[in-house]
Amino acid sequence: MEFLNPTALFGLLALPLLLIPYLLRRKPRRVLFSSLLLFMTGSEQMSSRPWGRLHLPPIFFLQLLLLALLILALSEPVFSVRPTSIAIVLDNSASMQSLENGKTRFALAKERASAVIGELSAAGQVDLYVTAPRLEKLGATPLSAADANGALRSLDAFDLGDPPADYNTALSRLASERKYERVYLITDHPTSGQGSTVRGVSVGAVQANQAVTAFEVHRSSLANARLEASAQVANYSNKDEKIRIFLKADGKTLAEREVAVGTGKTASATFEGLPEYPYYIAEIDARDALPLDNRRYAVAPLSRELKVLAITPRPQAAASLRSIPGVTVDVIAPTDYEKSERAGYGLEIFQFASPNRLPRSPALFILPPENSPLVQLGAPLTDTNLTSWREPHVLTRYINFSLFQLPYARPLTAQVPGEIVMETGKGALVFAHERQGVRYLVLGFDPLPYLGRGNLPMSIFTLNLLDWFLENSGAQSQATGEPIPLGTSRGDDVIVTPRAQKIPLTSGQNYFSGTYFQGIYQLSRGRDRQIFSRNLGDAAESDLRSPAPIEIQGSASNGAGASVLFSFWPYLMLASLALLIIEWFVNPRRRTVALRRKPARMAWR
Amino acid sequence: MLPNPFTPKFLTQLETLRLRTRKEVLGNQTGSYASPRRGTSLEFADYRRYAPGDDLRYLDWGIYARTDRLYVKVFREEVDLFAYVFIDASASMGFPSLQVKYLPACHVALALSYVILANHDHVKLHLLQDGVARAASPFFRGRRRMLDCVNFATSVTPGGALDFAPALGDYLKKMRRPGKAILISDFLMPASEYQKGLNLLRAFNLDIAVIQVLSRHEVDPAFPNGSLALIDSETEVEINYRWDQNSRREYQDRLAHHDLELRSFCHQSAINYSLYVTDRDLSDFVFATLPAIGLFK
Repeated sequence: MEFLNPTALFGLLALPLLLIPYLLRRKPRRVLFSSLLLFMTGSEQMSSRPWGRLHLPPIFFLQLLLLALLILALSEPVFSVRPTSIAIVLDNSASMQSLENGKTRFALAKERASAVIGELSAAGQVDLYVTAPRLEKLGATPLSAADANGALRSLDAFDLGDPPADYNTALSRLASERKYERVYLITDHPTSGQGSTVRGVSVGAVQANQAVTAFEVHRSSLANARLEASAQVANYSNKDEKIRIFLKADGKTLAEREVAVGTGKTASATFEGLPEYPYYIAEIDARDALPLDNRRYAVAPLSRELKVLAITPRPQAAASLRSIPGVTVDVIAPTDYEKSERAGYGLEIFQFASPNRLPRSPALFILPPENSPLVQLGAPLTDTNLTSWREPHVLTRYINFSLFQLPYARPLTAQVPGEIVMETGKGALVFAHERQGVRYLVLGFDPLPYLGRGNLPMSIFTLNLLDWFLENSGAQSQATGEPIPLGTSRGDDVIVTPRAQKIPLTSGQNYFSGTYFQGIYQLSRGRDRQIFSRNLGDAAESDLRSPAPIEIQGSASNGAGASVLFSFWPYLMLASLALLIIEWFVNPRRRTVALRRKPARMAWR
Repeated sequence: MLPNPFTPKFLTQLETLRLRTRKEVLGNQTGSYASPRRGTSLEFADYRRYAPGDDLRYLDWGIYARTDRLYVKVFREEVDLFAYVFIDASASMGFPSLQVKYLPACHVALALSYVILANHDHVKLHLLQDGVARAASPFFRGRRRMLDCVNFATSVTPGGALDFAPALGDYLKKMRRPGKAILISDFLMPASEYQKGLNLLRAFNLDIAVIQVLSRHEVDPAFPNGSLALIDSETEVEINYRWDQNSRREYQDRLAHHDLELRSFCHQSAINYSLYVTDRDLSDFVFATLPAIGLFK
């Protein structure tokens, strides 16, 4: 027998409360008597309790039974037979790697799954599902119990965040479409409610954790070759902590900092003047529940040069950027954009042009046309004086705005959330937007051509925006699950994962999407080596204090589920009703009224 | 001031009574109760050989004439009575109230005391009460000491528990003369306890009379039906009891059995026993019941 709403069983703990009215009503009258010699028979209880001995009438037991039946009915008991077709959905997100008494939550989840499989009938079949990177089935055909146990053993949790999903709906749909008799979701999120088909099983408990939540290595500016790193740590515990951050590369500790982090807060540390290494590791010295997020990887900027792809109908203006040291510019017409090879560019500049969808690399949009997904342009401004600007900001540093002249400008109306960096009274002129770690900038004026000393404020602004993009290029660490752009791979390309797994790439493959583990991915292309870092991107996975609960509603069971579960709580309700009627006749209300009369006290003194 | 029942008429009637003893007593003055000693009463007891110094008036000249031997007649000595009245003054005697149980018990004791005083015998009152200093009056003699008896008997309020045999033993240790012991109590105690106490009295060669005093509430408790928390007036032990017709009947059976046990013990031990239920008329009890059990001549 199982209970669909086991929480109601806690009501059984309240059953003794039924005694209270009897204790109040049945408090015996205290009578003084000369001697109790003749009352002492051995069966009477001697007592100094003020309540005396409680004499419970038969109606009490009837009421007790009535209440117990009602509580049992509320807990929705069902008789179940061994199911033959079930689905087990395992949460394989990063938080499942948290340790619980030496075992990971994922190991606990697999044990639970094995226990569920053990309850299968001899001919039972199991479909295994994982939640990350998306809810998907493992294997094409249903597995026998033995095969399912074998498949479970080979499973590992990914270094991925929880995908945004409504598990209640998704699992109910899964049950109804695939005709599963039971669907078990085994997760470290607290689950509430139970459906007749969909069951939630929770593993793990609340734990304290510290994490490196961000780590970047970048050049300090376009003109400066020195490397800088910044790391951010978070404290997901109930007390303030001092966290020591180590910056490592090539197996050596380059620097270390200690930061004080309040409970639930983050703190940053900056490391400057770093020597050149292929990649860097930021690590904290914490023995906490989730070791995965105690380290983070970042790749050094590929080169000191910023490679720009300009998409413009005016190639001369864009080509003027070549006069800036460290900047190489390739110019193409907007019509050639879709056909061109875009891999390897640190920045794409769209002048009077806009792609159909946002590029995956950082992009600058100069006076984009009407179809821009980021902004809408207003009518040309007659008064182009700036009224406000963000300061301090990389884009506005060193600029003397009294000299910042704009011969032509159009106000921008943002279509997406972002940051207005400069604006006039009529609207924004510089709008910054960041999506999945990629920066986009939209200008309501044209800073090109680059004139150098000929227009010093505008040249400074142009250099600032190139610096701003440079910060974001190359060294930016990407989240696990985000694909690695490959350009166009050849047949002999190989990618090596952080777990030293060599994966050959197919010819013409543009992306490698199997970045499920945190660490350094190495792309081998003939003699060339290119490395990429992928880190846990979901900070919510590190916060083990209050994972979001998963509500499982009592979904309508499908035909198969109905054969597995036999609900008999309606019969319990009927029995309760019958008992209520009996109680009504046996114990009419007028007696209750009589019991409320104040008893005479010590009438026999 | 004598209490209500002691009207002049009642007192006059009491003066007509004399306490009867089953045993010979040791008085110190001439009285009307038989003594084991030989003396000068009119009641012939025995003959003995004449010894020089004997009063020649008691020589039986008829025997001398027939046998030519000198015998003197010996007469039984008659002495006054020393009576000891023990009144139970434990808490149970105050139930349900002083007026309903303890005072009627005192009235019985005072009536008997008056009978003794009116016959120029000695009476000493004892209050049986634990937890306070043992209270015993001096010996009173003569009718004029009746008020002293009243004052003494009503000087205490019943209270506390009573350990029957030790309480009696304390008094008996100081007792010098055997006589009549009258014990007035509700005897609501285990049989072994009162038997131990009464055996102590018997050991002191006392002629014992027992008057059991119960109130009507004890004979026929009128509790309401239902659960009761009964509290013992002496020990304050509380028991929970379900009172209904069956338990009422059961209680009365037990009380009857308890009384019968007491009565049987008294009968076997040559002790006068009588039960006084306090709602009964005192004069009726004194003049009808007590003579019937042989307490009065």
